[in-house]
Amino acid sequence: MRIKIDHKICTGCKQCEIACSLAHTGAVNPWRSRIRVFVGEEFCLPVIAGPYTEAACNSEGIRVLEGVEVDGCVLCRASCPAKSVYKEPDTGIPLKCDFCGEPPNPQCVKWCAPNALTLVEE
Amino acid sequence: MFGWHGKILRIDLPTGTSRVEEMPASLMRGYIGGRGMCSRILFDEVNPSIDPLSPENKLIFATGPLTGSGAPAASRFIVSAKSPLSNCVSSPCCGGYFGSNLKYSGYDLLIFEGKSPGPVYVTIRNDQVEIVPAGHLWGKLSSETEKIVREDMKKKYDLDNWALNSMGIADIGPAGENMVRFACIMSDGGRAAGRSGLGAVMGSKNLKAVAALGTGQVSIADVEGFRNGVMAFYQEALENGEFYKRRRYGTWSLPGRANASKSQATFNFKSGYSEAFVKYENPEVIRDLIRVRDEACFACPFSCGKRSRIKDPEYPLTAKGPEHETMALLGANCGLGDMEDVCRANYLCNELGMDTITTGAMISCAMELFEEGHLPEEDLGFHLEFGSTNMFLLLKKIAYREGIGNLMAEGGLAFAGKYGHPELFMGIKGMGIPAWHPQAFDALGLQYATSNTGGAHTKSTMPFYEGRKDPARFVEFTKKDQDYIAAADSGVLCWIIYHGPLWGEKLAEWLTYVTGIEYTQEGVNKLGEKIWNLERLFNMKAGITRKDDALPPRITNEPRVKNRVVPLDALLVEYYRLREWDENGAPTREKLHEVGLDDEGADLE
Repeated sequence: MRIKIDHKICTGCKQCEIACSLAHTGAVNPWRSRIRVFVGEEFCLPVIAGPYTEAACNSEGIRVLEGVEVDGCVLCRASCPAKSVYKEPDTGIPLKCDFCGEPPNPQCVKWCAPNALTLVEE
Repeated sequence: MFGWHGKILRIDLPTGTSRVEEMPASLMRGYIGGRGMCSRILFDEVNPSIDPLSPENKLIFATGPLTGSGAPAASRFIVSAKSPLSNCVSSPCCGGYFGSNLKYSGYDLLIFEGKSPGPVYVTIRNDQVEIVPAGHLWGKLSSETEKIVREDMKKKYDLDNWALNSMGIADIGPAGENMVRFACIMSDGGRAAGRSGLGAVMGSKNLKAVAALGTGQVSIADVEGFRNGVMAFYQEALENGEFYKRRRYGTWSLPGRANASKSQATFNFKSGYSEAFVKYENPEVIRDLIRVRDEACFACPFSCGKRSRIKDPEYPLTAKGPEHETMALLGANCGLGDMEDVCRANYLCNELGMDTITTGAMISCAMELFEEGHLPEEDLGFHLEFGSTNMFLLLKKIAYREGIGNLMAEGGLAFAGKYGHPELFMGIKGMGIPAWHPQAFDALGLQYATSNTGGAHTKSTMPFYEGRKDPARFVEFTKKDQDYIAAADSGVLCWIIYHGPLWGEKLAEWLTYVTGIEYTQEGVNKLGEKIWNLERLFNMKAGITRKDDALPPRITNEPRVKNRVVPLDALLVEYYRLREWDENGAPTREKLHEVGLDDEGADLE
């Protein structure tokens, strides 16, 4: 089971960040969310926090998406020493998507009105 | 505390210092937030008779208890000051990311006082508040300003891509710097706190921009109830089609509806119908032509905003909108029939930082003066019949106050008056009338004429109430809607989504979940009524009287649309009666007592 992302219909409303922080912290704070929407002029890109890696890599470079150059670090889901996203702001503890528990019930998917995020069985 | 932070950030521009104040509980309980708090503070702290462009005016950026809470479509912030255009109290609202960032920084209100000795901009990152010289920003267009401010913030706080594009910026373009009386405050790539000329107030204070990046939280009293409430609301919006409709078209469905029903401001309100706009009656046509992507405000699942682009190397950037009001006022009303030309005008107004509605009314007025032979070509430097793209040149002249632009920057009455025909400026209290032609619906003329801020569409929406076509109920719906929107603007909840008759009950529901205080629909609407009356008192002290609650003679005397005129005098009598104001439009002592404003009207008697 995974969360499928369709960046073409993401509107940048960030309700997913709100839903995630509310579900995990009991308050609303996008800086503590395990999903982040990277807002761009041409499109927005929701990225879901993946596993923590102890070392930063230097292999990501620039990727091209929809004809726009995107920093590979933006596309990468890992929480790593080189990034400030996917970490608790105060403690630096890495954050990782847990599908909001077992059975999976990801709140970001429920709060995504345009359906840019969907839960799929595969 | 739930909902609110209870903190006011005050910035003293003459000394370049800031301080944080505790917010009195009475302000939260009595005025909710946003517009209500702004109107209260202006009433208490600003002498209504001052020159709005003097340092005595205060500029307030306000959030409400719902801002940043995740309540759907609750991201808007209010900007407030005495308007240099209408001389009234004013509180335009604006979407985007700025409001939530101000809130996550830990403040409910941000108040600018006095005038800075030189150009400055302000950066806010939680308790780090810096007033920084803005010499390098002065003179820059809005998008350039935001780009540089973003880079400055990136360097200062070592921001990653996500944080960089999550911040909010409010800024002015050259029009605000030059104190054009209908300059607006721009935000986040083309959004605007538009109507009442507050860009000029910001310019008069030498304040170029405010950037906010908050990393704090908003606490919610009843998390479970709130989450369930939001999900139930989502289900409702899915089932009644609002989600789809708003996201697909935003306000782009309106030019067609307005045109088809002969209600579109056209040729300086000489008509309600533009033949050239018939091709845009299907909103899919507009979407195919200019849309880049759907662009939501923070926390808004409806995302009515649209980012657009035209194929013209002279206009390389994407733009926000144009929204329906812009399409009508800068488009049909100026005789433009090509959507790409409307986009050019929208792009220029956004970059220069001018309200597209009043600017459109100014241009269409100049066009009519020119065609009627009252405005000589040598004063303009070019011909300017309806539909002429020379209007783009005029937009720049206004923003930079060049030649005739210097006079036009002072507003419609000064300009049209100079050429002997003040009646040809289609405005109310100096502010241009928005897109829907008042002759199409009587209640609309009444709403525009009685709006506390001037000729605005944002202080009461066109009645969507059941029974709205019954003339006996026009006045009732107008009052009801004005009170409701005063409360929604205080939440701050987006009235574009939450129309009173559709979702008017949601405001109290969200407030209750978020703050933990029991609100009712009647209760919040009563607070709205108090706010409305307080604003009226401010305006009266500023010199506004019954004669200012007026419409241009074209609307009341010349049957242009549907062979009708607006019977404003009769409607006003009924409106004052229903508001329990006297025949001159002054709130009665009994009314003020009822809404809890016992002392505020004392010195007016």
